[in-house]
Amino acid sequence: MNVQVETPQETAVLELPPETVKLQIKDLNFFYSGKQALFDVSVSFAANAVTALIGPSGCGKSTLLRTLNRMYSLYPGQKATGQVLLDGVDVLGPRVDVAALRARIGMVFQKPTPFPMSIFDNVAYGVRLYEPMSKPDLAIRVEESLRRAALWEEVKDKLKESGLSLSGGQQQRLCVARGIAVRPEILLLDEPASALDPISTARLEETIAELKRDYTIVIVTHNMGQAARLSDHTGFMYLGKLVEFGETEQLFTSPVTTRARDYITGRFG
Amino acid sequence: MDHTLKSVDTGLGALSHSVAAMGDLAVAQVRAAIDVFVRHDLADAAKVVRADDALDLQDAEIEKNAIRFIALHQPMADDLRRPIAAMKIAMQLERCGDLAKNIGKRVGRLGAAAPEDKAALIAELGHLAAERLAAVVNAYRAEDAQGAYNVWLKDTEIDERHDGVLREIVAGMVADPAAVEDSTHLLFIAKNLERIGDHATNVAELVYYQITGSDLTERPKL
Repeated sequence: MNVQVETPQETAVLELPPETVKLQIKDLNFFYSGKQALFDVSVSFAANAVTALIGPSGCGKSTLLRTLNRMYSLYPGQKATGQVLLDGVDVLGPRVDVAALRARIGMVFQKPTPFPMSIFDNVAYGVRLYEPMSKPDLAIRVEESLRRAALWEEVKDKLKESGLSLSGGQQQRLCVARGIAVRPEILLLDEPASALDPISTARLEETIAELKRDYTIVIVTHNMGQAARLSDHTGFMYLGKLVEFGETEQLFTSPVTTRARDYITGRFG
Repeated sequence: MDHTLKSVDTGLGALSHSVAAMGDLAVAQVRAAIDVFVRHDLADAAKVVRADDALDLQDAEIEKNAIRFIALHQPMADDLRRPIAAMKIAMQLERCGDLAKNIGKRVGRLGAAAPEDKAALIAELGHLAAERLAAVVNAYRAEDAQGAYNVWLKDTEIDERHDGVLREIVAGMVADPAAVEDSTHLLFIAKNLERIGDHATNVAELVYYQITGSDLTERPKL
């Protein structure tokens, strides 16, 4: 009897059960002024789960993230084709209200980007834009958001101080608080911990793990351990293509494609 | 493809090398134990007992190096399976060494050489177990999943042979109550050899796991 040693595949993308899908990407292509950066990406992100996107620099993972809330449409010459279905509705469609879309899909960037205003106003800013509410209600919303971002205990006595006075790790959690204050459905995180020390990173990871209960989270990270610890699903991208997508545990213990295996074990990239 | 960081390849290579070397030593110990039993050589039996220390040291060394590798490199996928498998295989080999040592001790306690027919049966069982262990050490060295699988499939052969040896020894005890003390040692010697076969099977599972990432659980019906 012969052993079944599986031959590595070129690409392997797990299909999620439709009822678990929050965001479905179909045949997505993306162009920067004519230069193609994403090639026929088709993948689904599950609701109330964390999906990690990994891959070497320039592989298209941040581009993919920026497509999901149409961040790219702020820049001329950038174009996406295909579909990004949020609860079945194509967010790339012409009739989509982009501002409303971005309230549903929040984003946190690699470098902390607090507004030059007080800690309180940083969190309240988006809420005031989208949801007029009384002062006491707003105060409750701000506190709740800061608590969920695991920052409340550190800032509760200095809410009037500038957001810029906080440490890098605190600023990043402030951005998370700001992002979730408007109660989005999806949270996109583009290397949120790359500039943080290990303790701040751990706090942020704990926050993300907590937030998963209520949000669909997509995180781009260069930290393999972080992707492995935090996410339920992981996608590995290379040269603008999605090479492997599957259960995180499976991808990090027994990847199916040679490319993904070589990348996560540090053989290239 | 090599790792970008050379010390990963160096570390993994060194681990594999030391596990394979420990495997060779364990096989040699098992063969030596069978040999001193067959020849009823008390001086050499004492040497077998003493030689076990080397396996204990190697086991500790492999464990230390595997933990160090994991801590330093935080490996993923097959890079992680390798140090984990190395540690677990070393533990199995260390046990084989203990069992060989125990055979050496029991040879020292036998009042006389075992009766020829029983000695031959036990030696046969021993050769089979040693051969199994040697095959799986080779499969480890060659990273040969098929080789490991073949060893794993044949686990029941040793068990069956062991049952046969037991019946013979017990029959001998019934026929000659004066031989009970020596026969008890023979029972344990046979049991030890059967256990070595079990450890070879465990090593086969670990080798298969290291290479493929999946477990060998149920034997297919042939």
